[in-house]
Amino acid sequence: MDRLKVIMISFAHQHAVSYFHALQKNEHAEIVAIADEAQERVREFTAPHGIPYYADYREALKLDADAVVICAENVRHEPIVIEAAKAGKHILCEKPLGTTAEGMRRMIDACKAYNVQLMTAFPCRYLPAVQQAKRSVERGDIGDIIAMNGTNRGTMPGKWFIRRELSGGGAVLDHTVHVMDLMHWFTGATAKSVYAHAETLFHPIDIDDAGMVHVTFDNGVAGVLDPSWSRPRSFPTWGDVTLEIVGTKGVIHIDALNSVNEVYANDVDHAIWSYYGDNMDEAMVNDFVDCLRSGRPVPITGEDGMRAAMVALAAYESAAKGRVVDIDGAAIV
Amino acid sequence: MKIAVLGAGTMGTTYVRNLAGMEDVRLVGVFDASREAAERAAALGSTRGFTDLDEMLRQTDPDLVCVCLPTFLHKEYVLKLAAAGKDIICEKPLALSVEDAEEMEAACAKAGVRLYVAHVLRFFPNYADLKQRVDSGLVGAVKVARAKRYSSFPRGSGNWFADHAKSGGVILDLMIHDFDFMRWTIGEVASVYTLYREAEGKQIAYVTMKFDSGAIAQVSGFWGYSGPFTTFVELACEKGVLRLDNQARKSLELFQDQAAVQESERVQVPSLPTLRDPYYYELRHFIECRRKGTEPLITVGDAKQAVAIALAAIESGRRNEPVEVPRIANKGVLA
Repeated sequence: MDRLKVIMISFAHQHAVSYFHALQKNEHAEIVAIADEAQERVREFTAPHGIPYYADYREALKLDADAVVICAENVRHEPIVIEAAKAGKHILCEKPLGTTAEGMRRMIDACKAYNVQLMTAFPCRYLPAVQQAKRSVERGDIGDIIAMNGTNRGTMPGKWFIRRELSGGGAVLDHTVHVMDLMHWFTGATAKSVYAHAETLFHPIDIDDAGMVHVTFDNGVAGVLDPSWSRPRSFPTWGDVTLEIVGTKGVIHIDALNSVNEVYANDVDHAIWSYYGDNMDEAMVNDFVDCLRSGRPVPITGEDGMRAAMVALAAYESAAKGRVVDIDGAAIV
Repeated sequence: MKIAVLGAGTMGTTYVRNLAGMEDVRLVGVFDASREAAERAAALGSTRGFTDLDEMLRQTDPDLVCVCLPTFLHKEYVLKLAAAGKDIICEKPLALSVEDAEEMEAACAKAGVRLYVAHVLRFFPNYADLKQRVDSGLVGAVKVARAKRYSSFPRGSGNWFADHAKSGGVILDLMIHDFDFMRWTIGEVASVYTLYREAEGKQIAYVTMKFDSGAIAQVSGFWGYSGPFTTFVELACEKGVLRLDNQARKSLELFQDQAAVQESERVQVPSLPTLRDPYYYELRHFIECRRKGTEPLITVGDAKQAVAIALAAIESGRRNEPVEVPRIANKGVLA
């Protein structure tokens, strides 16, 4: 295959910018169009780079292209994924894959029906600390996993993220899925039941910005995860991705983004953690491109995206009911 | 003031070491069922070891007795001491059940003796600093808190820590420190939810506390941790974040060649390079309270409530359901 032709659909999620740069750097990929109903959002990525702009993604899908990268608002993932599948394009979809079980099921089914690959954007799997931890677990360094404790804290993102009709949920949906995917990946098990808090504690907004998600996996492993948008303006960085893995013979601590130097600058009113670690988005995009060019299955599937998002959806149900709720495993496979 | 210590394990020895340096204190005896242990600890404080409590009380007539025995013996010995008219400092957790704690409190009240419960964490300078920062209002109310307390598996006499019926396990024995700290800092606890797992030589618990204020605290406790003793707190507040991390912030580290390293201690106790041991500050506080007749920083009501939180957490782990935390009235034995 020549260069993989990619259409980027929507820059609503800011990760699109990072994926754009990764695709631009990748000599085996080529962005053939950018579609976004809000032209001002993508102006700097289109004309100056000679990339055609489309207001309507459905027009762009008519182009000769191999794949799409979708960074639309969460609730719009479903119609775009399904249209892209119908157009025969392979798909990299921003997380969370969807906002309802039925919707995610339809996305996965459509991709199967039209024989295209669907990858969920979980770049954390590509962080070297995470990959090395995975190999350590596989070597048996810590015995069998019995419990895990993670965090994916962040800064309140504002914009459409706090409009339920576009995001489908707040911090708990936004920040449960990354580390939940890692928990699934490390254990090879699936979350079976959930107890959670989902609250608005930090900001004057009408959506959850704090929570605590507790999971029991189908192999008995216990997991807890803090997805809160709890990093204040004064904090040295935007957030974190941490995971503690407790085994029968040892413990692994991952603080995946802790490849930082400390910066104290008079012109900034807070300390800064200057990240020098590897670019996980780039590694993920490169792998997506490689998989499609070589005809390999993508390593992080739509089912993986759905498994993780189902935990967040169950967390909202649990928080509303104030009790442990089961996840319908049959809905995923 | 004449003080005696019951129990010559890690905690009793710590008490002896701290009391021995106090000018206004006369350490009159150390009691332990094991003569060897009693005498070894007594020697550290230049005092006498006893294996018979009644004999020690008769011979030394202490004003204040410190109960540093395994948890399952707290009630029996506190009741004996109260009946003998002795003021008491009792190690945490006060008791294995709220009922036992109430019975101990009532017996002390009836006998007119004081009962102080040694929740030493409130006297750790790093924790006290965090509490002070919250109280100052600098960062507003606590919203989402996290805490960790990870240690090797404690090896007490007869391996009593490993017996849930004797120690209450990692949740009651170890995590009670953080339950009390969180309640002290954030307020009353409405409910708890626990994920608890065991493996050979390991107990790990993830307990989430939900407060009346709406705040959430995720507290992790671990016995059998492979790493160094770890204590961590992060308080994400309205207007900022406060963080305590004993592994990230160290003002003293010692490294020795492997051959020089002795077998690690039987029960790990975190230490800070401060002028005095937190146990010293705690004992001084109780001694001053007794002298002046003032209310201690931690009341029996606080100690009972901490037990109630821990027991609710254990129950939640057993049932895999959130459990409401009962409010234990503070009967105020000092009144």
